[in-house]
Amino acid sequence: MIGEFSTPHALVDATRTMRERGFTHMDTYSPYPLHGGSEALGLPRSKVPLLALIGGLTGVATAFTFQTWMNTIDYPLNVGGRPTFSWPMWVPIMFELGVLLAAFSIFFGLLGLSRLPQPYHPVFESEAFRSASTHGYWLSVEAKGEQSSERISQELGALGATHTEVVKGERE
Amino acid sequence: MSAAQTVTPRPAELGRFDGGGQLMRLAGAVGVVSLLASVVAMFVGSKEWQERAAHSYLMAFAYWVAIAVATLIFLAIFHTAKAKWVTAVRRPLEVVASSVVALAVLSIPLYLVLDKLYVWTHHGAEELALWGVNEVQAHHLHFKQEGYLNKPFFFVRQAIYWGSWILVSHLLTKWSRNQDAEGGLKDIVKMRKFAPGVLPLLALTITFAAFDWLMSLTPLWQSTIYGVYYFAGGLLSGIAVWILFTVNVFHVGHPGAPVKEDHLHNQGKFLLAFTAFWAYIAFSQFLLVWAANLPEEAPFYSIRMGPAWAPFSIALILLHFVLPFFLLLSRDLKRKPRAIGAVAAYILFAQYVDMLWLVLPNRYPGGLHLVWTDLTALVGVGGITLAYTLWRLRAGAALPVKDPYLPEALRYVQP
Repeated sequence: MIGEFSTPHALVDATRTMRERGFTHMDTYSPYPLHGGSEALGLPRSKVPLLALIGGLTGVATAFTFQTWMNTIDYPLNVGGRPTFSWPMWVPIMFELGVLLAAFSIFFGLLGLSRLPQPYHPVFESEAFRSASTHGYWLSVEAKGEQSSERISQELGALGATHTEVVKGERE
Repeated sequence: MSAAQTVTPRPAELGRFDGGGQLMRLAGAVGVVSLLASVVAMFVGSKEWQERAAHSYLMAFAYWVAIAVATLIFLAIFHTAKAKWVTAVRRPLEVVASSVVALAVLSIPLYLVLDKLYVWTHHGAEELALWGVNEVQAHHLHFKQEGYLNKPFFFVRQAIYWGSWILVSHLLTKWSRNQDAEGGLKDIVKMRKFAPGVLPLLALTITFAAFDWLMSLTPLWQSTIYGVYYFAGGLLSGIAVWILFTVNVFHVGHPGAPVKEDHLHNQGKFLLAFTAFWAYIAFSQFLLVWAANLPEEAPFYSIRMGPAWAPFSIALILLHFVLPFFLLLSRDLKRKPRAIGAVAAYILFAQYVDMLWLVLPNRYPGGLHLVWTDLTALVGVGGITLAYTLWRLRAGAALPVKDPYLPEALRYVQP
């Protein structure tokens, strides 16, 4: 069941009310990032920061190990009497690889957690839903068990939805 | 943003701020007594003792000036960036920056003991030999460096530093207070036009002040990034002071507090960012010296990496970077007033450790020996500066009550 709202404010308020009334499996769609949208949906804290930390530490450890192996163990060179385990010189590479892997973890982690790219989604069946990428603010509520699509449609209408529609289909 | 998050300042915050009176009197009294003890110690006793006491004073002085001037620069940066959320917590930043006036007076004892601190104030091969300077180095000092490192020019530069800092902090504070009375856009426009123009001046003055006060302890060793290093530490501890003022002045976390965890969260992010910035600058300076391995550059680090100072250097890295960095990664910590306040106080401690590391090994390569003047100088300069800052804070409202951006700033929530 999807419903269109005319302002982002109405969408966020409706989302919060619907969640408080016990509806689950909801999602919001808007042409730009919605202030307060994830709070209204009651989403848990993102796991992306943790992924970034793990990625960053992996990069730092890899760069340190790799440079130690190359410069100290596999092919030690005496340059002007400097120690072969000259670890300060490795810090720039450790830093760079740490940043790189942290950035990759954020980028691919976000794609993975959001299950993107997603070439098909049931809401795409609706012709009116096209407005979500220009000027429409949409809320989708999954109809399950006693929460029939009629009841959801009534609730959304009462909360100020200008248009409601039933879309059928399974998320992949 | 919903209506529930709107915060209206209570009448108490609109009028004159009257908290911290007891602390002000205590800090002032303890500060004056400690300062007197420290100053007397610099002129009484053996030559070695007087020199050691002068080092105590230099460390304490450089420590508190860095906080005041870095805060002033941060304030100018916020005006330059036209940041709106800062409006809610701008007043504490302004009063900390205005403490440069007190510090200008507190610089006088330092100027009386230059001979006890700086080798470049001395002349003649025999006298310089007492400072461990050989004939070649003495020639270098005399012919290459005396054009800059001489007392008259030193005092000219001091006048420029204090003049610039007092002028900038005076104008920014004056306009802000004037706005409290008159309101409107006039004063905020003045601040925003003035601040970007003075940023280069502030950056140059703090850089050269770092050269003059600290780097010239070792005139034969130079590092162009030294000023940035001093500024980075100052900004880090300046943000820590700002956080402590914010938490205590506005009672963040209590119901009805005008300033919320969201503002504190932003300040905590700055604390994290500048912890990393300090480490980045410190390492940049070290890496170039390590890679080049030149005889005139290496001693600064070979003393600090030698057996006497190596444990202290490692402790500095752990205390000043590793521990606060990983603590501050936590989002929850930055949003808890008590927790972030504790970390801010800890940062202030770590920054003094950095001052010890920066100053003492130059003259005392044999290792760390703390003396009582280290404490009294720190408390003396700090106590008087704190008393002055609180006095300025109590001169008016703790919020810029008629700033047009204040309502929006008070509604600020983390995106």
